[in-house]
Amino acid sequence: MRSILIAVFSLIAVSASTAARAETIVANVNGMVCAMCVTGIEKSFRKVQAVDAVKVDLETKKVTVRTKDGQSLDDATVTKTIINAGYAVTGISRSR
Amino acid sequence: MLMQENDASQRAVGFDTTVTPNMAVAFHVQEHTRGSNFTMLGPQLNFLVRRWNMPDGQGNIFAMTGAGTTIDRGDMRPAVWTGLLADYETRRIFFSYEARLMYAKDVEKSAWQRARVGVAPYLGRYEDINTWLMVQVDRYDEKHLSTHHISTLPATDVTPLVRLMYKTFMLEGGVSLRGKVMFNWIQQF
Repeated sequence: MRSILIAVFSLIAVSASTAARAETIVANVNGMVCAMCVTGIEKSFRKVQAVDAVKVDLETKKVTVRTKDGQSLDDATVTKTIINAGYAVTGISRSR
Repeated sequence: MLMQENDASQRAVGFDTTVTPNMAVAFHVQEHTRGSNFTMLGPQLNFLVRRWNMPDGQGNIFAMTGAGTTIDRGDMRPAVWTGLLADYETRRIFFSYEARLMYAKDVEKSAWQRARVGVAPYLGRYEDINTWLMVQVDRYDEKHLSTHHISTLPATDVTPLVRLMYKTFMLEGGVSLRGKVMFNWIQQF
């Protein structure tokens, strides 16, 4: 009985820790050509409540977004934010 | 976005703010100096008509239209203007074409066209000063509606220029083949 309780509590602890972790989202973006593009995308993501940090790389054409602990950002929101900034999304990948 | 343009034909200052992803509202004050000095000011709407996002570049077509007033030796007259801007840019090359039509009652009606070709001598990163070497061709066709306005400037002028961009600030400077200095800057907020 004691070992079952330990296993259950461990599982709950692991789940809580995973849920509280920040997520890193990488979007491949078309149309970025200059420093002002970088600023425009960064500014758009800073308005999104779940976003902790954003980095735009002109060389690799990637936008990397880190969420705040315990918060998530779905693909539709990422895509919409980039489209509204004036660019096109060609793919999204995620990691924790 | 705050901008200022100074060249042989005008001194202008403007403020643009984006209201939707496809539309911006602007307010421009422009002093025309092509022999007939008058000031034109008023609000302007800028529309993104079409955008092409490609892996290594972006193409755009913008339309703009505005209405306001001219101030000519203390007299105020209504004015309207409209224009079209098309551009294509990669991190290495730049092309643009812009055409504008302006009508200011009892003052002037004019057409202005500008084409630009540019090349970046190196690929700058976001943290770098990005440099562009450009050639600009301007063409003016104007009819003065007031007898005391006489254009003293040529209809066509070619201006080699340098554009420097650092993060949200852009600076352009050049001297035309007829010796006219141009100087522009834009600060994006």
